[in-house]
Amino acid sequence: MASLTDHLAELVEDADAVLLFSPTASFHDRFVADEAGDRSDERAEIVVVAPDNDVDADPFVELPIPFRDVRDRIRFGIEGAMESDLVAEGDEVVCVVSVFEGESDAVIRVTVDENVHTGIYDLFVESRADPGVIRDVLEVAIELGKKGQKGKPVGALFVVGDAGKVMNKSRSLSYNPFEKSHVHVGDPIVNVMLKEFSRLDGAFVISDSGKIASAYRYLEPAAEGVDIPKGLGARHMAGGAITQDTNATAIVLSESDGLVRAFKGGRLVLEVDPEEY
Amino acid sequence: MTGADPARTAGELLGVVPDRVWLALFVLVLGLALAILVGVINRRLLVRAGVPEAIEGTTFERTAREFDTSTVRIVAKLSTYFIVAVTVLVAFTVAEVRYVDLFWSDVAAFVPRLFVAVLVVIVGVVVGDKAELLVAERLRGIKLPEVGVLPTLVKYSIVYVAALIALGQVGVQTLALVVLLAAYSFAVVLLTALATKDLLAAGAAGIFLLLRQPYGIGDEIRVAGQRGIVQEVDLFVTHVETDDGEHVLPNHAVFREGIVLIRE
Repeated sequence: MASLTDHLAELVEDADAVLLFSPTASFHDRFVADEAGDRSDERAEIVVVAPDNDVDADPFVELPIPFRDVRDRIRFGIEGAMESDLVAEGDEVVCVVSVFEGESDAVIRVTVDENVHTGIYDLFVESRADPGVIRDVLEVAIELGKKGQKGKPVGALFVVGDAGKVMNKSRSLSYNPFEKSHVHVGDPIVNVMLKEFSRLDGAFVISDSGKIASAYRYLEPAAEGVDIPKGLGARHMAGGAITQDTNATAIVLSESDGLVRAFKGGRLVLEVDPEEY
Repeated sequence: MTGADPARTAGELLGVVPDRVWLALFVLVLGLALAILVGVINRRLLVRAGVPEAIEGTTFERTAREFDTSTVRIVAKLSTYFIVAVTVLVAFTVAEVRYVDLFWSDVAAFVPRLFVAVLVVIVGVVVGDKAELLVAERLRGIKLPEVGVLPTLVKYSIVYVAALIALGQVGVQTLALVVLLAAYSFAVVLLTALATKDLLAAGAAGIFLLLRQPYGIGDEIRVAGQRGIVQEVDLFVTHVETDDGEHVLPNHAVFREGIVLIRE
């Protein structure tokens, strides 16, 4: 009689790679020791995906934000592994993740195909701006979406990276409050400032290293052939278009539905609900 | 008669012991109480000052943890023992134990210095450990085996200085060691100045550029033969994007060659 273990063994059968998401050190050590004993050819590649490389794993993919959505987290991990040639299209990947808080509690099997590939890894790692800067801006947008400006929902548009070109493809709506200032995103006080200024119209322009170059910018990109989902407003269109025209990344907080969206190369790459963070 | 007998015996006994000894005992008890009190207050103060978090993860702290104690507790205990030692000395003086007078006067002078020496060694080792951790953290991104030498070097430099101070405290001849330290620090200063000459120049120019902002992000400039759009200005370099790529120019080069602002 087949037991539960036998049935579920199918789930991990013939896996080409194993992605461990934020494993504890003891779990990782046990896993690697067992796998190293396996001398057969179809030894699965073990990749650790975590915010910090606490376990000193070799194939390691750094998570810039702890995606609450497990699907986003897995996509990021797989794309990161693909980038390092650890996983190829068509591979069977087993992901050991934590769905609820705490230790790993789920095993998920994914076949790598183009549906998995959304560019979420490229958004952080392959962008012109530093991954940390994109993460900081995303966090500001998420926090702004959660709390709003003085309780009222607000919209905001941040253009990150390639600031020189973006400045030349936009014009100022009013005085730039960040003129001659040296403020960088990620600083808690600056995050408060950004939230205060979010009531201003126009876009924030942020440089590759996170310096806030300007607020109050009216973007004037060439918008031909920009393909963003129907139903999104002018702010998203402007954000999407500028990323096609330059190498920037746009992070947009929608005033109407409260979602935070990231655009790159004129395409919608990431959509997160601030309420879930 | 029979009722008063035990009381009188007790009184006689008390009379036998000289007053000085009672005073000495009193001093001893008071000193012990004070020592324990100071130890507790010391520990609380150190904890309140955030010392445990600051030194978390250092080798010294971890070793202390292995013996079921902590650095803060060791330092607090040390102050307790110091006061106990002083108390005992005072008690002996009060009790006028003459035959050890000569010996104790030496010790009395030595105890505070020993205390300071031990404290300096502990602080030196902990600060050295912490500095090693901080430097290693900063260099974590650089995965080169050679870089691993740097944190260790920083640590032992600090420990060396601490050991020198401690030895000086207890009165050991340290002249040779001081000369060694001087030679070492001279070499470090000279080599650092040589190696970071350009960085210093770039930083000085960068401060001017950041304060006065002759050009900002998005301006089109021509500098050192390159014409392009400014992408980034930081303390050391200016990023200028031209058609064929992004040029990273050190700020002192920008300064030396002058900038041409292009306005259309």
